[in-house]
Amino acid sequence: MRLAALFIIAAVVALTLQSGALHWLTFGALVPDLILILAVDLGLKHPSAGAAILAFAMGLATDALSGSRVGLNAFMITLVFLLCYELSRHLWVSGYSVASLAVFFGVVIKDVGILAVTGSFDRLEGADPELIRIILTHAVLTALLALLIFPVLDSGKRMLRLPRRAERE
Amino acid sequence: MRDTFLWRNRVVLVSGVLLLLGAHMLSIGVRDGSLASKPEALATELVRPLLELDTHLADGASGIYHDYLDLVGISRENRRLKAKLERMKGEETRIAELELENRRLAEMLELKDVIGLNAVGAEVIGSDATGIARTILIGRGANGGLKSGMAVISNEGVVGKLVAISPNAAKVLRIDDHNAAVDAFDERSRARGIVAGVVDNGMVMKYVERTEDVQIGDPVVTSGLDGIFPRGLLIGRVSRIKRGGPGLFLNVEIAPAVNFGRLEQVMVITEPPPRFEEAGKS
Repeated sequence: MRLAALFIIAAVVALTLQSGALHWLTFGALVPDLILILAVDLGLKHPSAGAAILAFAMGLATDALSGSRVGLNAFMITLVFLLCYELSRHLWVSGYSVASLAVFFGVVIKDVGILAVTGSFDRLEGADPELIRIILTHAVLTALLALLIFPVLDSGKRMLRLPRRAERE
Repeated sequence: MRDTFLWRNRVVLVSGVLLLLGAHMLSIGVRDGSLASKPEALATELVRPLLELDTHLADGASGIYHDYLDLVGISRENRRLKAKLERMKGEETRIAELELENRRLAEMLELKDVIGLNAVGAEVIGSDATGIARTILIGRGANGGLKSGMAVISNEGVVGKLVAISPNAAKVLRIDDHNAAVDAFDERSRARGIVAGVVDNGMVMKYVERTEDVQIGDPVVTSGLDGIFPRGLLIGRVSRIKRGGPGLFLNVEIAPAVNFGRLEQVMVITEPPPRFEEAGKS
């Protein structure tokens, strides 16, 4: 319950920033994907069915403020959560740098997935360097910001006396 | 209980079910007012007050920052007078800002008269949450009489169309989004095509035949054939033409008429435009 409360508040703040203030710091039109950072944290550190539902709900909330296809972000965020959960089952993830790397690959998977589902690749002739640059910039930007956000999330968890790391199953 | 297959794999199973649910929502599409659209509307309504606050704070913060820069270095003796001067300057800026806003609104009213259709104004309160898609949020929704599919314009030209509505906010799919498409024609040469957004940036006009006399700088306007946008609204201008390469059609790039980064007010056309044939008769 406390975990849900923390992540619901974090998601509302993240979406407000993504739709508003973070557009001041844009690189092109891109804004860092704060919701994906929260989903990676859930996947790596909170292996539970509730965390999966939280990730899906955060994706659905992103759909309300982005794009025209409801369910697309919900699908991709849940997929990234699941991949991070699998990663945490096979790899002992400690420290923020590995989690930040997971965020980098999470953004790449999500962006490529979104562009594939919306059929954007069909309109391109081969690999478009500009598109690759956009995806990589988005991923680097989000991964760098994740290095700042993970400690803040951990402080929130400490305050609420939540576990900061996954218990091995 | 804890040793069962279901319990051990509960996270994967729940995630799998949620992935199927997401895929199902994607494949069927979600209509306004349906049960599946409720969480989306709830999320929009939850974030809307914060975005409106954010918009007002941004204006305030910008003023404070500029006031601070102007005040640095002023000596103690003339601080009071300088501060007064700054206040006057601030007032002047505010009046100039109001004048600009007035002009924009007057232009939009004029546009509304020219179009001859019912329309309502709305304030832009937020941008796309990911940046990969190109949408904006406006501070008027179903309670203000808006419905999905309505055309959104500004005094500069076509902005996009409504794709999701909550009681007090709405999401607009911009015309430069890679999922958007508008039936259009080159106003000078009358060459027809479909204007669509591209992921990288800007827009392209597709299906323009190679024999057409399209030139850089030509205005591209809506044709009115899609039943969403009235005929003759400015979309943008031709910025580049690639004539080389294989294929039946020209590669025409369009620079949008609207500066989406500075968009503050828009107008939503609440009445469907007359069909092109009817418009032609009148």
